[in-house]
Amino acid sequence: MVIRTGEDERVERDVWAALAGVHDPEIPPCSITDLGIVEGVRVSDEAVEVDLLPTFAGCPALDVIRQDAEAALRAVADERDVRVRFVFTPPWTSARITEAGRRALTAYGVTPPGESGKGPVLVPLASLSRSEGTRCPFCGSRDTALESAFGPTLCRATHYCRACRNPFEAFKPKTSPHASIGAPLPPA
Amino acid sequence: MDDDPRLGLLLALADDELIIGHRHSEWTGWAPHIEEDLAFSSIAQDEMAHARLLYGLAREAGLTDRDEDALALGRRPEEYRNAVLCERPNGDWGFTVARQYLYDSADSVRVADLAESPWPELAEIMKVIQLEEKYHADHAVAWFRRLADGPSLTARERFAEGLAAAMGEAIALFDPVPGEARLVSQGVLPRSSEEMLAEWLSHVGEALEGFSLDYVLARHGPVGEMVPTGSGEIPLEASDFQVPGVVRRDGVWAHEGGFTGAGGRRGRHSVDFLPLWEEMTALYRAHPGARW
Repeated sequence: MVIRTGEDERVERDVWAALAGVHDPEIPPCSITDLGIVEGVRVSDEAVEVDLLPTFAGCPALDVIRQDAEAALRAVADERDVRVRFVFTPPWTSARITEAGRRALTAYGVTPPGESGKGPVLVPLASLSRSEGTRCPFCGSRDTALESAFGPTLCRATHYCRACRNPFEAFKPKTSPHASIGAPLPPA
Repeated sequence: MDDDPRLGLLLALADDELIIGHRHSEWTGWAPHIEEDLAFSSIAQDEMAHARLLYGLAREAGLTDRDEDALALGRRPEEYRNAVLCERPNGDWGFTVARQYLYDSADSVRVADLAESPWPELAEIMKVIQLEEKYHADHAVAWFRRLADGPSLTARERFAEGLAAAMGEAIALFDPVPGEARLVSQGVLPRSSEEMLAEWLSHVGEALEGFSLDYVLARHGPVGEMVPTGSGEIPLEASDFQVPGVVRRDGVWAHEGGFTGAGGRRGRHSVDFLPLWEEMTALYRAHPGARW
């Protein structure tokens, strides 16, 4: 049985503060607490244990984040062991990003999830149709087009703003399971 | 633990992702435009990560003592359990898109099933995979539309050629893994692969019909030996016009009979696998146990 002491509670507060200073190197302005990837913190007399959720399973920054988190935790763990691991339950979703995280993303030039448009996945060639796009982080316009659902990192997609004529990126929404088989709609 | 059919299941799932991911990664720097370089590179990165999760589960569950690198890169060719479809060279862009559509639509059926598996560790991984595969399916469907319904007849023809070439071996994605009956009775697999195949094939047949591309399911084979009749005619049976194993029954495309290009689930591969394996494992074979 683990008896929680006031000392452990103080360390736990320090642990959360230390984690708030750790950043995803692929999204520098957003701390890992604002990104919502800290799933659990356990402090006992022997150890500080932290469970993190990967945003995308193939994210190459995971090892760097773990190492940075371990280094930050060692500074506040006194003599305790530091253990940081990635877990997959519950699956991370973009709804876990905090308001502060969303503001940091926008300021960095990446549209946060939930500002997505309803346009097609790939703009049809020679199409003049304009559908409501993802909000531009620079000028706020919705007159934008998705150029590719893929981008410089696994978690970002590439868009173009017709209003201010800037290319920009948006955080990929990751919200609900893909329930059905991809169905190409027949020609109208 | 060698006879535990869960190992064969995990290797089939993981090797499919690893090998098709390797093929996707070959587009890096060579795709028709830079967005597709990024798209296929990103999809490859996702698929390899999914393979890694499944290899990791095989070890955690005590089904193998090999770690994820040893499983991905340290096995002999005949130990890989991927479907033959995944190892075929990328070839034409039409084939690449056709294969990605057929593979990812088939994958979404089994991933949805396994996300409900009573094996909790497997279900957890599948729920993570399911969230990420959405973007692969969207990519495939968008290209399906663009090629099948775009302004270029050449593009449509090349897509149709790709579909026809990939279709038979795509069906063999559902070739049962050894010991499947046990996996179903244990509840690890919620359904048999035959039931999953029926759902997928009827869906794909309907999608192809929507674009008047269902003729790729009924291409002129001829599959068997052709024997002239007494009058010199060669009678054509309905089966001569169909991809082996596909029939239209009561208005629905269905699977009947055998598989084309099956064998991957038991470690039998095509001539295309060895060059891929040699390249993929070159560093690990030169430096066994290498870590990066």
